[in-house]
Amino acid sequence: MSDFAISINNLHKSYGKLKAVDNLDFQVRPAECFGLLGPNGAGKTTTMKVLYGKCEPDAQPVSAIDIYGYHPPKDALTIKSFSGIVPQQDNLDTELNVEDNLYIYSRFYGLPAGEARKRIAELLDFMELQEKARVKIRELSGGMQRRLTIARALLNRPRLLILDEPTTGLDPQVRHLIWSKLRELKESGVTVLLTTHYMDEAFQICDRIIIMDKGKKMLEGVPRALMKDNLETYVMEIYGMGQETAPSKAAEEYPEIRCERYDDTLFAYSNMQEPLVHFAEHLKVSDYHIRQANLEDLFLKVTGRSLNELQ
Amino acid sequence: MNFNDIYTVPAWPRRILSVWYRHERVYNSNFISNAFPPFLEPLIMLLGLGIGFGAYIQTMGAMNYLLFLASGIVMTSSMYTAAFECTYGTFIRLEFDAVYDGMLGAPLSTDDLIIGEILFAGTKGAFFALAVMIVTWLFGIITYPWSVMAVAVGFICGLMFGSVSMWITSFTKNINHFNFYFSGILSPMFFFSGAVFPLDNLPQAVRWAAQVIPLTHVVTLARAFCVPGQLKPQLIFNLLYCLIFILIAGWLALRGIKRRLID
Repeated sequence: MSDFAISINNLHKSYGKLKAVDNLDFQVRPAECFGLLGPNGAGKTTTMKVLYGKCEPDAQPVSAIDIYGYHPPKDALTIKSFSGIVPQQDNLDTELNVEDNLYIYSRFYGLPAGEARKRIAELLDFMELQEKARVKIRELSGGMQRRLTIARALLNRPRLLILDEPTTGLDPQVRHLIWSKLRELKESGVTVLLTTHYMDEAFQICDRIIIMDKGKKMLEGVPRALMKDNLETYVMEIYGMGQETAPSKAAEEYPEIRCERYDDTLFAYSNMQEPLVHFAEHLKVSDYHIRQANLEDLFLKVTGRSLNELQ
Repeated sequence: MNFNDIYTVPAWPRRILSVWYRHERVYNSNFISNAFPPFLEPLIMLLGLGIGFGAYIQTMGAMNYLLFLASGIVMTSSMYTAAFECTYGTFIRLEFDAVYDGMLGAPLSTDDLIIGEILFAGTKGAFFALAVMIVTWLFGIITYPWSVMAVAVGFICGLMFGSVSMWITSFTKNINHFNFYFSGILSPMFFFSGAVFPLDNLPQAVRWAAQVIPLTHVVTLARAFCVPGQLKPQLIFNLLYCLIFILIAGWLALRGIKRRLID
């Protein structure tokens, strides 16, 4: 038994010729919130599915997956008995009401009826859905459906919570509510593994993250440290640059500035603000904006600014 | 780490039953619209064909025509409900509503899902057979006491068409392709199973073909329970056919759907 809640080594998964996950390694400690980041098609969801046996890794080369001492797909049922799974797409029974949805699901865990009723009341409270107990799913907003899907994954008081893009498409209020609930769960000792492509989400709740691209791990670490080590402090965005090459040439005179361009926007990175301002004056542009670099910039630096064929 | 004291995976009969329970709850959440048609359909069929044809045909073989027809459509009703459940119903759960993806987050295996669903198709088959029987009892068309057993045959019929339909669904990529199954396979079966007219006077080749199709065997069984003097020992072969059919089709369904659900 290792000290890790999840330990993944040499994970390989191909669909035909496409390598969805390519030799992935990572470890998650108990009661840690761990984030998998990456653009669509990076292999995040596939990785999640492998953990609970929804997806089987390649036969060769052999992957080593350990979840609290159990190994999917062989031990998938046991793993699911102590885990909560929140898939990317909400898949509640739309014809039924909130309470019935949870009750039916509690039967899958074999919860006795009385205990299930108690747990359902607790969870509706926890997810702030108590007034919606008798409302049909069709009448719930997207945010309520998402909260209910999370509540459903908590019926068995899981040790491990696996969430695939928990807040995609939700408004800021609901996102903050979900984040605070996930923090609360983490504090109570639940290990949380989530995928996201929202950088603020990773910053808000993840203790550690990996950034994936095309099935490979690009970076791993604590969000703040990753930024400090891999990215300048400030970034200046200059719009409407067209296809001129002059600015890139001009930048050569400023060794403390690194430039990237995307379409007609120029991104200039530096650890100090002053050279950026000088650089902008040098270029005689007025339409620019200097801000603190964030995780999104790091993400784009690592995974590239242009779309790939899977996005 | 040993979680065995806190977390347990329910034994497989309970897991399968919990899947069956899910389907039962969803079906009964629309009780009125789901419970009414099974009674209405045989009523229309018996009135339409019975009064219409019945004016010209009083007997079919040695049997009253209405009795012949009633003892046949008990099974076609079961067949169609199980087939609809495990084609369109299964496909929608599989592809559009992603219901299975949700259920597979709980400690259930794909086998649990499929067996639970086929059992539910059997239950619907029994319920639809019961609905037809109630109509025929009320109208005094069927009076033989053994006819309650037709409900059990309806269960078997539901299992057969549930499992074979599920297998068909496992390789169907487009929901419209089920039209081929319904028009190309189930409709001919409806006519050439002995449900609406006897097979005795058909050409030899057609009679042989009729013995191969599954509906013929449940129709033979159901009619034996509905019409006095037809219970014979050789019915055991019809029953055997049904059981072997369920095992083979069920195995194919398990394999096919698992391949589709697990990446």
